Amino acid sequence: MIDAKHERKTRKFKESDYYDLKKDGQYFLLPFRFHRITPEKEIIVNEVGDFLILPTGTCERIVKRQIDKKTDSELYGDLIANYFISEEIIPPLIDVLATRYRTKKLFLNHFTGLHIFVISLRCEHTCHYCQVSRVTQNRDKYDMPIDYIDKGIEIMFKSPNPHVTMEFQGGEALLAFDNIKHAVEKAESIAKEIGKGLTKVICTNLAIVTEEILEYCKEHEILISTSLDGPKFIHDSNRHKPHASSYELTIKGIELARKILGHDRVSALMTTTKLSLDYPVEIVDEYFNMGFQGIFLRNISPYGFALRTEKSRYDTEKFLTFYKKALDRILEYNFQGHYFTEDLARIFLIKMLSPFNVGFVDLQSPAGLINGVIVFNYDGGVYATDESRMLAEQKDFTFKLGTLDDSYNELFFGKKAQEIAEVWANESLAGCSECAFQPYCGADPVHNHATQGDMYGYRPNSDFCQKNMEIIRYLIELMESDKKIKNIFQGWARTVNH
Amino acid sequence: MSFHNRIEGNEIIVFADTSLYSKDSIFKCLYWYGDKYHANVSFVDSNTYKISLKPMSDNLISAEQAEKLLQKLERDLLDFNLRDIVTKETKNIRDLLIAKAFSNGEFDELPPGELSDPVGFNVNEIKND
Ligand code: SF4
Repeated sequence: MIDAKHERKTRKFKESDYYDLKKDGQYFLLPFRFHRITPEKEIIVNEVGDFLILPTGTCERIVKRQIDKKTDSELYGDLIANYFISEEIIPPLIDVLATRYRTKKLFLNHFTGLHIFVISLRCEHTCHYCQVSRVTQNRDKYDMPIDYIDKGIEIMFKSPNPHVTMEFQGGEALLAFDNIKHAVEKAESIAKEIGKGLTKVICTNLAIVTEEILEYCKEHEILISTSLDGPKFIHDSNRHKPHASSYELTIKGIELARKILGHDRVSALMTTTKLSLDYPVEIVDEYFNMGFQGIFLRNISPYGFALRTEKSRYDTEKFLTFYKKALDRILEYNFQGHYFTEDLARIFLIKMLSPFNVGFVDLQSPAGLINGVIVFNYDGGVYATDESRMLAEQKDFTFKLGTLDDSYNELFFGKKAQEIAEVWANESLAGCSECAFQPYCGADPVHNHATQGDMYGYRPNSDFCQKNMEIIRYLIELMESDKKIKNIFQGWARTVNH
Repeated sequence: MSFHNRIEGNEIIVFADTSLYSKDSIFKCLYWYGDKYHANVSFVDSNTYKISLKPMSDNLISAEQAEKLLQKLERDLLDFNLRDIVTKETKNIRDLLIAKAFSNGEFDELPPGELSDPVGFNVNEIKND
């Protein structure tokens, strides 16, 4: 018979005591932050977004070195394995952790991907919350001239990103379809020549879409992104179209677009208005019944005309109540075996439950403006985000980086870009720097400026902060309360587009 | 001399030992009260901070709310002090981690400890000549 102990010695494994580097029970802290999620529980989150949910008071015990390796062996093991504490001053696996950190910031690797061309400011709708559109036939004044389109394309292809996206917005983009065709064909030929990937998207309300337009989109692999605010009575009330039902035109348009382009080539975005807040279930049902795989519950932007109309003013508390009710309904569909997601939650969950991140303009740090997205306005102005050009319609040019006549360097690395860069990382913002949700959240200098009057922002009464903090906390609470929900959320987090 | 945390009229007053609470943690904590309260920090003696919160004129609070606020402030001060300890204790390792993450290998090093393989020779002694 072989002596087990001896056998072990002939292998290269050491006795367990060998690994007990700190026999005196001391350990070193690694960077992490904590937040109370309920009166009974708190969360600790490390630099790469791994988290542990612990009974209230545990964080204090960790910091005071009261976690005992023997009596708290399970917790101790979890803290070591998840990089919250280390038995050595520099953890042996710090390079693994550094690689994971780099993975979380991978969205920075390629620089600007999304290039928005505001191809026309003209629109045939008169939506009450719309900040910018004009009902007019004046093409000369409100369509993007060919010259600017060409300059925009030239700048787009200067991006170091190996794959760029050009997105046409309006007004109603399809009113300038001839110009879109010019842009698409020109961009395609350059992309082919220099070997860059190119995705094309048209944002449209689909009211004036035709088979001919869609055939063209099919031929050129153009994606369609439309707007659907919910059932007919909500959509039509939000999106006023003289002498017609916007809803019926949108639904007809979605069906036709799916038939010609394929189901998955058509997506829809909703805008939440004061009216929507009373109908979370109906809105979710509309998206589900229309055969979408999910919905993005977005709150109304606080910019421009929207801020001034009483109809659109509501507070974040109400949005959060709406959000939670809608999420409940979405979970019901998932319990029944359907895969149907809420996309804001999905962004947070990918950051919480997967090794990856999602580049999403205001939910990343550094923020996605300039280094993720750039906007070329119809009049040649270049803006940091879509919201920035809406501010400009109110004569606020804070986020105007220059014009299409400027050089790439002036636009992307100029004084204005540098000024914005000072405040685009939540790691260094007051309030955010000690916030446990920092790896899941982001920074939004444009929103701060629009709602609080300065780019830096003030977290205690920021609606951006209030919304994100509560939604993240709520997602954790849901996962903790029900294993089934945790499984569903894990499923959502697995569908990463990285 | 001992100081008791208390509510004086509409004002919340809390004392903190300077050897236990860092100045940074107190200010980071009070940051979150600045939208609704006038916050003030002063020394009562060289070992004690006096922290006070006074509701802004448009934010009148009841006695019951004041009691809750006192509790919340005490708890938040403890929490922010813990956060500050973690931040300061882990500053160097955090810097190292981020430097490594964004470097191209210049901060990498072999894992500490003896490196050996199952066949039994010591890789550290193998020379490439
Ligand atoms: S905005 Fe609020 S929730 Fe987001 S990181 Fe900053 S403090 Fe945390």
